[in-house]
Amino acid sequence: MKRFICRLAPLVLCLFSLTSCWSSKELNEVAIATAIGIDKSDSGYHLSVQVLNPAEIVSFNPTSRTAVTTYQTDGETLFQAFRRLTVEAPRKVYFSHVQSVVFGEEMAKSGILKTLDFLSRDHEMRTDFLLVIAKETTAEELLTVLTPMDKIPASKMVSSLENAEKNWAPTHTVKLDELINTLVGDGVEAVLTGVLLKGDPEIGMDMGNVEKVHPPTTIQISNIGVFKRDKLVGWLTEDESKGFNYLQDNVKSTIINVPCSDNSAASVSIEVISTKTKLTSKINNHIPTITAAIQMEGNVGDVECKTNLTNPQNLKEVEESVENDVKDKMVKSVKAAKELKSDIFGFGTLLYRNHPGEWKVMKQNWDEAFQEVEVKYEVNVTIPRLGTITESFQRKGDD
Amino acid sequence: MKRIRQLGERRKKRTSNEQTRYTSESSTPFHTSLEQNINEIKKTLGDSSDLVVREFKAGTNESMHIAVLYTDGLADKTLVQDFIIEPLMLDIRNTDLTSKAFTNRSSLEILKTFSIASGEVTPIGDFDTFYQYVLSGDTAILIDGDTEGVAIDSKGWEDRGVNEPTSQTVIRGPKDGFTETLRTNTALIRRKIKDPNLWIETKQIGTKTHTDVSIIYLNGVVDPKLVVEVRERLSRIDIDGILESMNIEELIQDGTYSPFPTIFNSERPDTVAAGILEGRIAIVIDGTPFALLVPALFVQFFQSSEDYYQRFDEGILIRLLRYLSFFLALLTPSAYIAVTTFHQEMLPTPLLISLAAQREGIPFPALIEAVLMELTFEILREAGVRMPRAVGSAISIVGALVLGQAAVEAGIVSNAMVIVVSITAISSFVMPAFNMSISVRILRFPFMILAATFGLFGIILGLIGMVLHLCSLRSFGVPYMSPMAPLIMKDQKDGIFRAPLWALRSRPTFLSENSTRNQTPSPKPDTK
Repeated sequence: MKRFICRLAPLVLCLFSLTSCWSSKELNEVAIATAIGIDKSDSGYHLSVQVLNPAEIVSFNPTSRTAVTTYQTDGETLFQAFRRLTVEAPRKVYFSHVQSVVFGEEMAKSGILKTLDFLSRDHEMRTDFLLVIAKETTAEELLTVLTPMDKIPASKMVSSLENAEKNWAPTHTVKLDELINTLVGDGVEAVLTGVLLKGDPEIGMDMGNVEKVHPPTTIQISNIGVFKRDKLVGWLTEDESKGFNYLQDNVKSTIINVPCSDNSAASVSIEVISTKTKLTSKINNHIPTITAAIQMEGNVGDVECKTNLTNPQNLKEVEESVENDVKDKMVKSVKAAKELKSDIFGFGTLLYRNHPGEWKVMKQNWDEAFQEVEVKYEVNVTIPRLGTITESFQRKGDD
Repeated sequence: MKRIRQLGERRKKRTSNEQTRYTSESSTPFHTSLEQNINEIKKTLGDSSDLVVREFKAGTNESMHIAVLYTDGLADKTLVQDFIIEPLMLDIRNTDLTSKAFTNRSSLEILKTFSIASGEVTPIGDFDTFYQYVLSGDTAILIDGDTEGVAIDSKGWEDRGVNEPTSQTVIRGPKDGFTETLRTNTALIRRKIKDPNLWIETKQIGTKTHTDVSIIYLNGVVDPKLVVEVRERLSRIDIDGILESMNIEELIQDGTYSPFPTIFNSERPDTVAAGILEGRIAIVIDGTPFALLVPALFVQFFQSSEDYYQRFDEGILIRLLRYLSFFLALLTPSAYIAVTTFHQEMLPTPLLISLAAQREGIPFPALIEAVLMELTFEILREAGVRMPRAVGSAISIVGALVLGQAAVEAGIVSNAMVIVVSITAISSFVMPAFNMSISVRILRFPFMILAATFGLFGIILGLIGMVLHLCSLRSFGVPYMSPMAPLIMKDQKDGIFRAPLWALRSRPTFLSENSTRNQTPSPKPDTK
């Protein structure tokens, strides 16, 4: 036993001294990247990486330096561009904490599939970042805007996206796995939410931007962009985006405005607290019919007219108009998708699951067949609660 | 290997030699002349000033020449004067010692029978026995013309008295602690267990110190083989002096090359008594307030006697807290090093940013930073224990400033590292047994090196190695990790957890054959 240990000890010592912590990287030797921007350039890709300046972010006595820095390079492949960053960045850029990847609109229009290989292959990338499109601008410009409140623009973007999805509905957060599945899957097309740059990008990259009460340049979450294969083909409007999310059962909460029954211009706002969408399919005469059954529950959130909602009849009317509104939005979104010839709803996948035999035939020319898909809507809305006041006091005010 | 074996043989030889030299048979018997005896004693003791020799003549015609010898400071002076010298000098002054009533008896017998009012009287016939008794506080009476004397128990030296234990404090529970006197300590245990089966075996260990060592156990509960084993291991000890129980512990423990203690020690009579009741053996050593308990298990070092003096649910939670702090004290610095140098992706982004901001401008890698701070803390802790009380405040000021604010402001270490070191330090103080927290202190550093070279893999490797080592340990034949490894379901009630007292009806199975505690029918409170 003792001899064994005596022989083992030098080997163990070698293990410690020869390996010499080769993969270790001290925290002050890495630059933490929070956002990656990918644009098209002549040679291939134009890469922008938003890197943190940690001391500035947690400091109680901020200096005039910015909290983030953006480094940019070009490369024929994405990986080459990433490695070329080292000529500009002072430290090795560390990508495990990337929160979002932004595609420039031009880039998205020319196809994004090739870029995704590196993003999912590289071991340093965690695949939980959100992917967005810089609407009407380049990723480079979007990543140079400084934001108030949240010192890290990327995390501002991500939290805005998540909040908007949770409370407002016309956006949809997409992570890498979902994007790849929809890009390569049969009978479904990809969507990505757009992010708008409002204001002058030149002012946006200046500290002056965050020193004002109302920042001149801001980042704003926009609507959903529709892909055909891996190319961006168009944008949905806010209503259409909402309709898309109703159909996809993505809505967690939103606000629906319906006109008052007393014919005034004012309206009633309903806060949706739960929705459940179920898609079923049928095939008649080689024409597929999709039925979307939606169960929705809502609260009365805002009554700006004299309607007395304690009267069940009036409430019923409100419920009906909400149903119509929801249905209307879904119709609009299906129409828009048909115009863009992109099956973003995954009707094809649904048919494949329910009627694999017919799908095999239909798959050949799904683009045309998609145009003929009939969609039926069964919306059922209930409003069980009226909020903390029952009768609108506007009725009293007029007397 | 060969050399070690040789050493062992040599030691064995020496043992036999010394043992023969120190048995009383071989030592010189007393001479008949008292004067010769006293002279020889004085010569042997080098005329030491603490030996008191009082010579006088007794009997009507001063027919008896008596000497009373005792060690000043060890013997109770009033006792010696009132009950030994006074009766000898005054009470038998008018007795005719040559009268017929005494003719057939030796003068010593006469004294023993008629004159000495003491409970413990032992005859002594040679010099070595004499030294043994007189130097441990007894008073010897030698008579001219007699080759035998007597030793009378008169021990009574200045004593610290029973105080509150300083090393293992409790909020609720008995507040008496062992002292440096063996007799007081056995009395403290006997006061808790008034059973005839509480047996105390005493022997002297140490060729020079002649330290009394008692093994105490509950006959009928303890495993007889264990008693034999303890006796055997104690008798194997051959050393000139035993000054503290650690001397004994080191000579009889199983794993000398293990960082973990395999013998439990306590300053508290209630802890020791509880151990004896479970079937353990206590080894109490004269001259130290720390008694040993064998066999000792890993879980034992995480148990405090207060676990049984507070509600059982609290006991469970506190024990879990101790295990948690064991791992915190062991792994916090290494986990910090591993995560910040190898696994940054494991941290939530805001935490990473904040840690990265703190590390800006720190000149050392995380390992050096951690070792630097841990070393500083260990130095401070050692200084705090060793320094004279009067300069205590100086250490705490320097410690707080150096460890805290100044080191961070000077940019030598990061704030997070200060927090890590503080958590480690505080956690290591949670351990009720101080020797277990020393083990953690030692192991922390190898773990930090492992973490700095291999990251979390290194830590896991180290943990696997540590658990393997723990499972290989034994304490007096009992697996160190029981009742977890081997898993004994019956003993889980008082291992990591602590069941209510009415459920603890059996003793630990690995300790005692006679395992029921005789709580039948169960005294569980009626729930109705």
